[in-house]
Amino acid sequence: MSETFFPVNDLLRRKLQTSLTLLSLTVCVASTLFLLLFSDQIGFGITSVAGNTLTVGYYNIFSSFLLFVGILVFAVGAVIVSFITFLMMAQRTRDFGLIKAAGCPNSLVFSYFFIELLMVLFLGCVLGVALGFLTDYAVINMGVFQAYQKAPNFWYAPLVFVAFFVFGLIFGLKPLLNAARLSPTAAISPMQYFGLSEGNRFKALSKSRLTLKIASRSLFRRQSATVRIVVFLSIVFLLLTVSIAGSIIANDTTTSRVENAVGKDTLLVAHKDMGNQYISLLSKFSGAKEKADFNYLDPNFAIPDAALQQLNTISGIANFEKRLVCEEQIQEVMNFTYSDSATIPIGDHREADSLVVGVEPEKVLSEWFIDGRFLKNGSASEAVVGDSLAAVAFEMPLLQSLRMQNTTLNVVGVCLDPVNNGMVVYVPLEMLESLNNASDPNIVLVQLDSSVNQDTVIMRLQERLADVNSDLTVFELNDALENNVGFLGAIWSVIMFLPLFSLVAATLCLIGYLVLAINEQRHEFAVLRAMGAKPKTIVTVLAVQSLIVLFSSFGVGISFGIMGTLMILMTQPVVTSFTVLEIAGWLLAALFGMFLLSLWPAVRFAKKPILKIMS
Amino acid sequence: MPMKTSDLVVATHSLCKAYQLGEAEVEVLKAITLNVARGEFVAICGPSGSGKTTLLNLVSGIDKPTSGRILVLGQDLAVQDEDFLAEFRCSNVGFVFQSYNLVSTLTVAENVAFPMEWVRSPAAEIERRVADLLETVGLQHRANHFPAQLSGGEQQRVAFARALANDPELILADEPTGNLDTKNGQKITQVLQMLKANGKTVIVATHDPALMQLADRTVCLEEGRLTSKNE
Repeated sequence: MSETFFPVNDLLRRKLQTSLTLLSLTVCVASTLFLLLFSDQIGFGITSVAGNTLTVGYYNIFSSFLLFVGILVFAVGAVIVSFITFLMMAQRTRDFGLIKAAGCPNSLVFSYFFIELLMVLFLGCVLGVALGFLTDYAVINMGVFQAYQKAPNFWYAPLVFVAFFVFGLIFGLKPLLNAARLSPTAAISPMQYFGLSEGNRFKALSKSRLTLKIASRSLFRRQSATVRIVVFLSIVFLLLTVSIAGSIIANDTTTSRVENAVGKDTLLVAHKDMGNQYISLLSKFSGAKEKADFNYLDPNFAIPDAALQQLNTISGIANFEKRLVCEEQIQEVMNFTYSDSATIPIGDHREADSLVVGVEPEKVLSEWFIDGRFLKNGSASEAVVGDSLAAVAFEMPLLQSLRMQNTTLNVVGVCLDPVNNGMVVYVPLEMLESLNNASDPNIVLVQLDSSVNQDTVIMRLQERLADVNSDLTVFELNDALENNVGFLGAIWSVIMFLPLFSLVAATLCLIGYLVLAINEQRHEFAVLRAMGAKPKTIVTVLAVQSLIVLFSSFGVGISFGIMGTLMILMTQPVVTSFTVLEIAGWLLAALFGMFLLSLWPAVRFAKKPILKIMS
Repeated sequence: MPMKTSDLVVATHSLCKAYQLGEAEVEVLKAITLNVARGEFVAICGPSGSGKTTLLNLVSGIDKPTSGRILVLGQDLAVQDEDFLAEFRCSNVGFVFQSYNLVSTLTVAENVAFPMEWVRSPAAEIERRVADLLETVGLQHRANHFPAQLSGGEQQRVAFARALANDPELILADEPTGNLDTKNGQKITQVLQMLKANGKTVIVATHDPALMQLADRTVCLEEGRLTSKNE
């Protein structure tokens, strides 16, 4: 018998198993390659693009999520490859023993199956690389992502190919080497090729119904394969939880932070040029560019008292807040701290151009997510800095001060703020006015009563302001807010669906496991059928096995996934009851989908005639 | 004297069974006409490959004929669907295989009990009947053991207990002593003797002279045809 003839024939003889193994391997390689290519082009592309537009705080959340998901997808890929090659080669242990028993030398039998392993691995990896590139090409050319595309990095192909080929080889060789060490009689024993445990000492669920009893005991008996699939699916569910729950929680949290910082249903009153500039500064998330060399302190932008008085007279306005916006050069002030009698310097003398916003602390309409605290009434020498400014110009901002026009201000808080992408400083309004010799604000934020008709109030407001100054305009901040929230939502959606391929590969592996379970129990199922079991009873036994495996891994994966998301990736998350329902919906849909698909071999098997199963 | 149809447990007419092996068709049973009356003990003899197992498979509803009629307890099995046949086997037929075929993940007691669970017998009745059946086959002390912990003869006795679980009208046994030594074979013969005494209809495929002696009638199969009848 030729050394390649036997492996080819053997692979063709096990059509279903070979197809499942090849398919799982292909999808697994493709999913990992796709993730790398896609993240590079879109995912990390987003963060690198967004690095110039997103605030540092948001950028950090995105990049840590992508990194975590990327590591998990790679881990899932490695575990899948190890599982399917183990499954494939473990099922050949019996044949190994039979051929040896017929007198074939150990080395020759080993080479037969080793060539099979190489063939399947090579073919699976090649097909996977091709499918990975094809999928990336198809997805990247979808409308929503076209703006971020760049040429794929072809070096990922050999990287993934070699990594997975080596993984597969290591894990596939293990059962093969084990089989080579066994005597022919030991190799023929079902103990070896199904990974069955010795004996049946454990009478699990002896009081339960027959289907549950048979299902659970078979799982216990097939310990090694069962433990592998549970561990593997737990990692898949961990990945799913991090990407789905994480994305939804992070989306809700970041959206809520942006909404609170910008203010929902808030109007902006300003000179039309100043208003447009402020809107651009708010919309830098979604790629808007503000005007360079803009003179914020142009006297024409000042909002006179007469206009503010008009605001007091219009019904439907709940509150309004004056702000003075300008641009300043900010200097970091170095500080010192003491530790173990040693003086340790903090910071340097860095400088940065930043937007400076003067506010009346007691009247601010925004609610920022702040590390530290906001400004207090009457303390003129305090400042709150945006997260990006804190990252680029300070080492430990809360222990440092900043200098602006020779005035030193203590940094009391760091806020997550989309305005100018976090390159912003909030200071007391009076102090900023006196520094710039300005007596009037240049923007006013107006909050309307939620009960009024907003269009009517806006129209009335516009009319009254026109009487004072025809250039004064009313802007709705909701549009800018929606742009920001929409952009954040799109990024989180991308992250949420990155593990879709891993889910498909996991489902294929679960089907492979069910095929193993069917093969191991096929004779007993035939006996049960001959004794009067209906085909649906057999499907029920296999469905129970699939459910036990799925639920145990679901529980483990979700627990670790939620812990990872809330404790590592996202601090102070916003979790509403709708968030919980949405997450539960997605995860249960994934679980249910996997369960239904895993039943396919069971249904197919149950339809077979009894004698065909027995033969 | 001709028998009434209602007295017949098994009635076959021109029963044929062929298998497709590649392009070739192999005829295993050729125009078998056989009637078995209620309470009758029939032995089927014949060389290996003569069609004994196939005939038992057709009578039990495990397999379907290619042509001909087969009535078992008044039901035409050739036209029934899988679910009906499953229920029919569970309630009316007790099948004993040559290779025992116990479910390895279930204990002896559970192996005997499971056909009763499918017909939804009350738990207390199942428990009582399992104890009775195991006592009948002399294996009450093995109730909580798994099949792998029993000898071949013990496994075959459990298989008989399982076949009797739902008190079926018809017992089919395919070479029940074929894998056993003389001593264990005798124990199985005693069980069959007891079934005969209890008025069960029994069809046994066998080479065992002891079982043929026990039979009311022996029919022989050769190359798929009934060649002789010894009534």
